[in-house]
Amino acid sequence: MATAPDDAHEVDNTLRAVLADVLGLDPARVAAFDETTPLFGALPEFDSMAVAGLLTELEERLGILVEDHEVDADMMETFGALLTFARDKILR
Amino acid sequence: MSGPALAFETFRGAKGDEWLMRIGEPQGPAILFVPALFEEMNRTRALSAGVMRRLARLGQCCWLVDLGGTGESERELATMTWDDWRHDVSSAAAYVGQQAKKPLIASLRGGALLDHAADARGWWRFAPVEGSALARDMARSGLAGGVEWAGYAPGEGLKAALEAAAPAAVAPLRIVRLSSDRAAADAKLEGPALWRRSEPGNSEALAEAIAADLDSWSRQCAG
Repeated sequence: MATAPDDAHEVDNTLRAVLADVLGLDPARVAAFDETTPLFGALPEFDSMAVAGLLTELEERLGILVEDHEVDADMMETFGALLTFARDKILR
Repeated sequence: MSGPALAFETFRGAKGDEWLMRIGEPQGPAILFVPALFEEMNRTRALSAGVMRRLARLGQCCWLVDLGGTGESERELATMTWDDWRHDVSSAAAYVGQQAKKPLIASLRGGALLDHAADARGWWRFAPVEGSALARDMARSGLAGGVEWAGYAPGEGLKAALEAAAPAAVAPLRIVRLSSDRAAADAKLEGPALWRRSEPGNSEALAEAIAADLDSWSRQCAG
């Protein structure tokens, strides 16, 4: 088992890798995302099945568990919102 | 350049005639592909076809089954049961055995939940997954304002059976996964998890690696 990432920078890197993998985006484009980059509702690749894939991959790679009631459009609205969600999960 | 022989054939499925796509000449060793389930099936079809074309060039003959209620099937998904799908896979394997030789079964993802009852000379599973994980992904597609079960409407009985399904023990079996997957496997290959991608994609490098692994395993399972 991999240990849970404890470094904020590593969470950032993992989130970018998962977005590139799940949405099939160019890693260079994902590397340029900042906190305000809109995601859900803004990227055509981010459809309802991609939500499921994104959550499952984040759980596996970050060693976290996401409850269904925590999932809504707001926590995926921007890259910053999703990053904050993932970091808070790891701190718990 | 003309590619390997391509044919569409029917076999008697659980609830009527269903389709098989064949790539290759039936004289070669037979491999029956069991697809991933629901949306993952669409997302991995190009990969499967790419693998089948490569294997045909290596002398193998490959069939890909359309489960009842999916692909070209005339059945409604809502009328299909889990046992119907298992029956479809077993019937497809029997059909291949009559047309050519007893097949090796190559299952992708959730296809590995349906492949154990078939008469086969061996099994090969790519990124096999528990049914509960697939059911959870499908339910999650309804979160954040999306469409529940990504718009698929299987019967409640099929959903319940999927939820409870796990890959069954078979032999001889080889399990192959992506290197990003932490679960145990006989081999790990580099490549993208195409079944997670919303845009249908393909990976030539992954298709090449899968075909090489499957070709080698098929030759070991000479039956």
